Amino acid sequence: MATVTIEELSKHYAGGSEPAVKAVSLDVADGEFMVLLGPSGCGKSSVLRMIAGLEPITAGTVAIDGRPVNHVPAKDRDIAMVFQSYALYPHMTVHANLAFGLRRRGVPGDEIDRRVRGVAEKLGLSPFLARKPHALSGGQRQRVALGRAIVRDPKVFLFDEPLSNLDAALRVSTRNELIKQQHELGTTTIYVTHDQVEAMTMGDRICIMNKGEVVQIGKPLDVYRNPADAFVARFLGNPPMNLLPARLATSGDRAVARFADVTVELPGYPLAALKPYLGATVTLGIRPEDLYEAPPPALSVRAQQIATRVLAVEPLGAETLLMLTIGGSSQEIVARIGRDTALRIGDAATITLDPSALHLFDPTTTKAIARTA
Amino acid sequence: MRLWLNHLRRTPLVLFLILYTILAGGPFLWVMSMSLRTTPEIFDNPYALPVRLHWEKFANAWTNSNYGTYFWNSLIVVVTAVALLTLIGAMAAHCLARYRFRGSRLVRFVILSGMILPPQLLILSLFQILLDYGLYNSLAGLIIVYVATQLAMTVYILEGFFAQLPQDLFDAARMDGYGDFEIFWRITLPIGVPAIFTTITLNFIILWNEYLYAVVLLTDDEKRTLPLGIMHFMGGHQLDVGMIATGLIIAIAPVILLYALFSETMIKGMTAGAVR
Repeated sequence: MATVTIEELSKHYAGGSEPAVKAVSLDVADGEFMVLLGPSGCGKSSVLRMIAGLEPITAGTVAIDGRPVNHVPAKDRDIAMVFQSYALYPHMTVHANLAFGLRRRGVPGDEIDRRVRGVAEKLGLSPFLARKPHALSGGQRQRVALGRAIVRDPKVFLFDEPLSNLDAALRVSTRNELIKQQHELGTTTIYVTHDQVEAMTMGDRICIMNKGEVVQIGKPLDVYRNPADAFVARFLGNPPMNLLPARLATSGDRAVARFADVTVELPGYPLAALKPYLGATVTLGIRPEDLYEAPPPALSVRAQQIATRVLAVEPLGAETLLMLTIGGSSQEIVARIGRDTALRIGDAATITLDPSALHLFDPTTTKAIARTA
Repeated sequence: MRLWLNHLRRTPLVLFLILYTILAGGPFLWVMSMSLRTTPEIFDNPYALPVRLHWEKFANAWTNSNYGTYFWNSLIVVVTAVALLTLIGAMAAHCLARYRFRGSRLVRFVILSGMILPPQLLILSLFQILLDYGLYNSLAGLIIVYVATQLAMTVYILEGFFAQLPQDLFDAARMDGYGDFEIFWRITLPIGVPAIFTTITLNFIILWNEYLYAVVLLTDDEKRTLPLGIMHFMGGHQLDVGMIATGLIIAIAPVILLYALFSETMIKGMTAGAVR
């Protein structure tokens, strides 16, 4: 177990006009499960590969347990990595794949066998030790890749999108297995993914990256409820947060937002915090699950109703998505409501929203407007 | 009715294949037949099948006509050249496929440009070089020439295959603690067996039948390779058609055997390497 500290880490690939990673700083505590989340090309895999020692670092430092490892070869960093493609050696049996790294380190043969069989037992791979990777299913290969990392007993695990090649059902079960193994072993883990469900369910903290930079770091629910900017607000959540232009004004001693032909109060924002934006147009955000066809009782006191028209209805089984236009405008929003709805395309619908769930973002910087002055 | 129409549609293809088989296989079967007949029997009826199989002709050719010496010379030269080609070519292909270094494009261009130069263009220069280094009229000199001239094709085929191997495999091996040479030896070579078999088979066939370099660079009868030996024999025994046919069968037997054993592996390796 170990801490991992990244300071001002940058990576510039030859021939690229922009750095792939720009001054990323991150602290991963001992035993923590940190998820690096972001869209394809945001630099998260590059960060992981620099931590692993597979990619030279352009600038900044990587330290493991306080020791800078920039110039330490990958094999000496005491890190084990699970790759997206599993990287199983196709010409070796499962046993040989698990033992490969230990053999190189001069571990005695009987100790290798003991550790390999122990890990195989733990991961349900004992019946497959004599098989080669091509004779295994996707889930079994994934477990062999995980086993190869576990058997090394490293200080840090690195995972590079290990579930992306699995089907949906297998992904869920394997995700739970990974969480279970990490909790049992208590090994510091850095996990890269573009899947927000993995990030939300697996990480102790998530670090969201975009265009080579860290945008926000925090606990999954904190980041979900308090996105730092419009990118995080849209990236987390499925369907994404609705973002609309809204004009801020005052109504007595309160701030209100006007969009389409709707005026809503902003109970989450004291007037003092919004003074710089009064009279201007900002970006207003509301999550689809904060729009209701029939509001829950707890919401009724502060709820606000808006007139909409149904553009599309998507029944998903457990819930229904409604695509709506607001009032007589062309402004579209998405609402996530219960599975039982009688609404059809073209219907007029009165939708209730929770004003306290509204988010405001600066229209120029896209950063979230602070809720305090 | 439909079945009959399907058969009818396939008829031109089948006819073409039968014709091609006759044209391609016919001469070989004819030489095979002649190798088991005496020369008088052949002159009597060139196209007849053997009535009595004269297996003693093979022993006669091996001992009395020096075919044994030519065969062993060919075997030494070709096996050594193919072994060197496989080792050097695989190492070069691995480096070109896996590593980005300054000048890699130039190195690749220089190596692969060897494929476009015809032997006739190189023969005079090679003759002079071997003469200068005392390697003229030696099996060692011929081996070096064979390695140099076949290296381009070997590297081309192997690089295409090795480039398809996922980089993750090599990254995983690096993290497991293996160095560059160990990764080549333990990962690239075992996985690259289909492509390596392809190059071994192709190189063997090409070099076993190679004539131009051998005829220019070898002069002693004791050092002749099999293609040279056969031509020399044909020159000295123009009318002994039966013995010529027997010598030809001795010459092509190893190639046929190799191809029969490894053709499937070779096709797998070639098609895998074709897609980059």
